[in-house]
Amino acid sequence: MQTSQEFSKAEKFWMNFKLYQFWRFIVLNLKILAAVYQSKRS
Amino acid sequence: MAKVVVIGAGFAGHTAALYLGSRIGRKHEVTVISNRDVFGYVPSWVWVGVGHMKPEKTIFKLKPVYDKMNVKFIHAAAKEIHPDAGNQYVLGDEVGTGKEVRLDYDYLVIAPGPLLNFAGMPGLGPENGFTHSICSLPHAIKTRDAYLALCERMKKGEKVKIVIGTGHPAATCQGAAFEYIVNVHKDLVKKGLRDKADILWLSNEPAVGDFGVNGVQIKRNGHLMRSEEFLTSVFNDHGIRYQVKTGVTKVEEGKSHWQNYEGEEGVTEFDFSMLIPQFKGQPFKYIGKDGEDISSKMVNPAGFVLVDGKYGLPYPELAQTPDAWPARYQNPAYKNVFAAGIAFAPPGPISKPFTNKNNLAIAPAPPRTGMVSGMIGRVVALNIADLIEKGEMTHSEPMTEMVAACIASMGDSLWDGNAVTIVMRPVVPDRKTYQNEFGRDLFTSHLEMGVSGAWMKFMLHHTFIWKFKARPGWTIIPE
Repeated sequence: MQTSQEFSKAEKFWMNFKLYQFWRFIVLNLKILAAVYQSKRS
Repeated sequence: MAKVVVIGAGFAGHTAALYLGSRIGRKHEVTVISNRDVFGYVPSWVWVGVGHMKPEKTIFKLKPVYDKMNVKFIHAAAKEIHPDAGNQYVLGDEVGTGKEVRLDYDYLVIAPGPLLNFAGMPGLGPENGFTHSICSLPHAIKTRDAYLALCERMKKGEKVKIVIGTGHPAATCQGAAFEYIVNVHKDLVKKGLRDKADILWLSNEPAVGDFGVNGVQIKRNGHLMRSEEFLTSVFNDHGIRYQVKTGVTKVEEGKSHWQNYEGEEGVTEFDFSMLIPQFKGQPFKYIGKDGEDISSKMVNPAGFVLVDGKYGLPYPELAQTPDAWPARYQNPAYKNVFAAGIAFAPPGPISKPFTNKNNLAIAPAPPRTGMVSGMIGRVVALNIADLIEKGEMTHSEPMTEMVAACIASMGDSLWDGNAVTIVMRPVVPDRKTYQNEFGRDLFTSHLEMGVSGAWMKFMLHHTFIWKFKARPGWTIIPE
């Protein structure tokens, strides 16, 4: 059942690179807000 | 003047009460009856359970908020519901005095949260069993104390076995257990004790990352990515062993007995275990006008309130019938009774159920907590306000149309913490609208891990507590 799949070194780097993560923080907030307001919230 | 009674003040009940107070509180009577006089921000209890957050930071008193919102608060445990026309009321026992209280209503919202069914599994739970839980604040505090005591043993050089996951073949809320297991891992790494612990994820999910919602699937750079691959990578990366397709059948001191999909039976030993119990509906008595038991008109066998869903469809048909999921959460027999949050009866599972050769059904129940609870609470409140003011409902939001976001904490530090940000659209797959094998909008759905998630989780803790305290601008913060 257990597999050996792991994140690559590049993926781990981007996950912790603060400047990139700050950009993702903004994008994620906008994405969630857009998705919520696109749904039937009226 | 109409009378609206809300049973419960969790995510669903409290959200409903705030919207009701805001819309109709000045002209009509809105009353909340709850056996707790504080609101508990459940998502942060995972941090309480590892000793990273003080319990008092996750709660606040309800009455001052309700006073501001024109909502009456009764600190009592509801026990009986009398829904027959002409004499509709809720009976409860006041907390502290035991005095019986009677609340007449024109509209009723049942949103008391789940009954944590530890009794449904021998040996499960912190009170009469051998496992821990983060499903209530007292449980999270007890879990923290046990976990910190375990850390002391590890500091003395002892090697320990930690088992975290689900404690019933039909449990839900795998997300909370996932957050807890990764937070335990991170905490042990920081304490320099990780090499002293063997950590196992034990779950009833059909696959890692299923979370009771059939997993999450997204398209990134033209490639399909599934939560199964993503979460498998997380576990491997953190050295966490995993065992899915497994239903716990009994717990003894230091031992979890289980069966898997193949029907094999086994025992997993542990020094510390946090297993989420099965959720059931609260055991209210539903009484007709002649004193007869009318539970069958109100609730399913698990105690969840029947609403406007299509019940009884076999799973393959349910998976192809998005209309089977309720949209207004209104009881079909008593049209002035609504259910919100975990209290409503789902028409069936979201993830594919499985019964093994020993006739044990291993199937996660649909999660209806957090954002989903809040959204249902809002829909119910707005519809009741509509009925009172306009005579007809104008809001609906089935889980087959609902967007949900979940930030799964993997360490609370704002510097080197982490979290998985998950966006699902819709929560329940709709294979008619989204014609792919997953029934989801693969563009809007999202799965991402990074320190930005830890910032999101921190931000959500503060913005939601702001919202639930009904501070300025609370309505523009989505549920």
